[in-house]
Amino acid sequence: MLKWKKLGLVFNPLDIKDKDWLNEFAQAPSVIEFDNFIRVYFSCRPKIDKNGQYVSYSAYVDLDKQNFSILEVSKKPILELGNLGTFDEFGTYPASVIKKDDKYLVYYGGWTRCESVPFNVAIGCGISNDGGKTFQKMGNGPILSYSIDEPFILSGPKIRKFNSKFYLFYIAGRSWKITNNKPEPIYKIRMAISDNGINWTKHNHDLISDVLGKDEAQASPDVIFSNGKYHMFFCYREASDFRRNKDRSYRIGYAYSTDLTCWTRDDSKVGMDVSKEGWDSEMVAYPHVVNLNNKVYMFYLGNQVGKYGFGIAELEGKLE
Amino acid sequence: MKWKKLGKIFSPLEYSLNKTYIGYAQSPQVLIFDDFIRIYFSIREESKNGKFISHIQYVDMTKDFNVINTSQHDVISLGELGCYDEHGIFPINILKFNNKVYAYLSGWSRRVSVSVETGIGLAMSDDNGKTFQRLGNGPVLSSSINEPYLVVDGFVKVYNEVFHMWYIYGTDWIKNNPNSEAERTYKIGHATSLDGIIWEKENKQIIEDSMAYECQALPTVIRIKDRYHMYFAYRNTFDFRDNPNNGYRLGYAYSDDLSTWTRDDKNVGIELSKNGWDSNMMSYPHIFEFNNAVYMLYNGNNFGKDGFGLAKLESTN
Repeated sequence: MLKWKKLGLVFNPLDIKDKDWLNEFAQAPSVIEFDNFIRVYFSCRPKIDKNGQYVSYSAYVDLDKQNFSILEVSKKPILELGNLGTFDEFGTYPASVIKKDDKYLVYYGGWTRCESVPFNVAIGCGISNDGGKTFQKMGNGPILSYSIDEPFILSGPKIRKFNSKFYLFYIAGRSWKITNNKPEPIYKIRMAISDNGINWTKHNHDLISDVLGKDEAQASPDVIFSNGKYHMFFCYREASDFRRNKDRSYRIGYAYSTDLTCWTRDDSKVGMDVSKEGWDSEMVAYPHVVNLNNKVYMFYLGNQVGKYGFGIAELEGKLE
Repeated sequence: MKWKKLGKIFSPLEYSLNKTYIGYAQSPQVLIFDDFIRIYFSIREESKNGKFISHIQYVDMTKDFNVINTSQHDVISLGELGCYDEHGIFPINILKFNNKVYAYLSGWSRRVSVSVETGIGLAMSDDNGKTFQRLGNGPVLSSSINEPYLVVDGFVKVYNEVFHMWYIYGTDWIKNNPNSEAERTYKIGHATSLDGIIWEKENKQIIEDSMAYECQALPTVIRIKDRYHMYFAYRNTFDFRDNPNNGYRLGYAYSDDLSTWTRDDKNVGIELSKNGWDSNMMSYPHIFEFNNAVYMLYNGNNFGKDGFGLAKLESTN
């Protein structure tokens, strides 16, 4: 079993007072390493609107590489919301960034609002010419959209490059389950492959087996290569009553693969669970595992899926 | 081109169907049998919230276009909760190929800031077009970077072992003024496939505009000798419902290579009638070969509320 030493909450959005678009939430942390600092992209929300609905933005915070103290918070969101009727009119969440040549690409979930269900999501792409501070969209539409076996909610993208190919790990909706008159989505972890990061071929299979039955929701597939294997950390939850019920909320799962196609799920190895008390006592979610300073760190969310920010844990030992 | 109008041939409220509808027989499209023709159409049911849901029904007709009978069952179910085709199917395009019957569904689902989003899905029939079952809950053709929404109106033909789909995609949602509903603009696109399931978009508008704020809808294509002929409907983005000057007309284009199309509306060969059922609007054309002749089904006034009519091609000159 992996052994993680929790370093605590490192960024709490409630501490930021001068940005109305960054009121609460710092979701789905994702790291890009620079020479002198790390940039952690995250997604946040302004105050809830008069109809009780949120929009979401993505932003970043630059952290010191050694002690993870806050150096700078982005002055504005990295992406604008989409135009009327577009897939990302009501939110850009979550975001994953990769360097391509001397530019940066972002892959993000774009949110629209629906009548019978609350929302739908598709994956968009943007490019940055200012070192990853802001991104311009490649077009008004998504780069990865719905298909026969992925009918709705394409979200949670994580972009990686292995062996000269781009890999997009993401989730695709399977069904909407009605509980107490409210539809909640079930989604599964999927993958697409590309030579250029623009034209994608879907793998069209679930990557990760269920442990909670067919209505298990799986999210945030985060893949890292280490010691000859691909390691995936993700989170999973029950279909309903998962927001505040500690026994049904997100936990972190683990799987490994040698070929990126066949994955063996082994949650018993993950070594990461909720704390007895504090900011991550109800859930742990949206893991992102990175190599920094010759160590392995996990960035992750706690209670209410990151309403109070993200924290870090340090791996004691090797990821193998 | 020269067409002879044969008049309205089907009025939906004159026949019993699988349930009670409020009218419309939109976008008639055919499946041809040896001794009769089946014409599918979209008919409307009113939702509890006053909106509409389009369902697929059909009418079987003789070679002389007399009604034999109408469907008395669900031809295809609506999509599941949250799916692209949850709130209606309009239109449906039927393709018979290698003894299989394909249905390309245009599915509608409702949005909040704009009225709808759409996608094109695929279902197959194993009872000669009486009922259809989906290949999956999602679409086969959907939005993409430069076709951001409203992919719909798929029409599929196989030429030289390649599946060709002509369809439309949205380019804008615009509000004429801040208090009005957003109106959509769409253009005709083209995609190809080797199996009818996995499609590659050409990613460009293939029919040039004839005016600013032009919506182009429902392309239908037929090969006659060595030339491909396309009919479609077009209208103004705004004020098209009640203003006959801005409503749907039929447009025409031709191609000799399926790649470059020349728009040639002055040779459309079919115009609004002076009075009667197709005097304000003509839309949703569907062209097919049957009984050694070329026919066009189309809707008239009011987007086909009262039914559809027929015209016969007399000359391609």
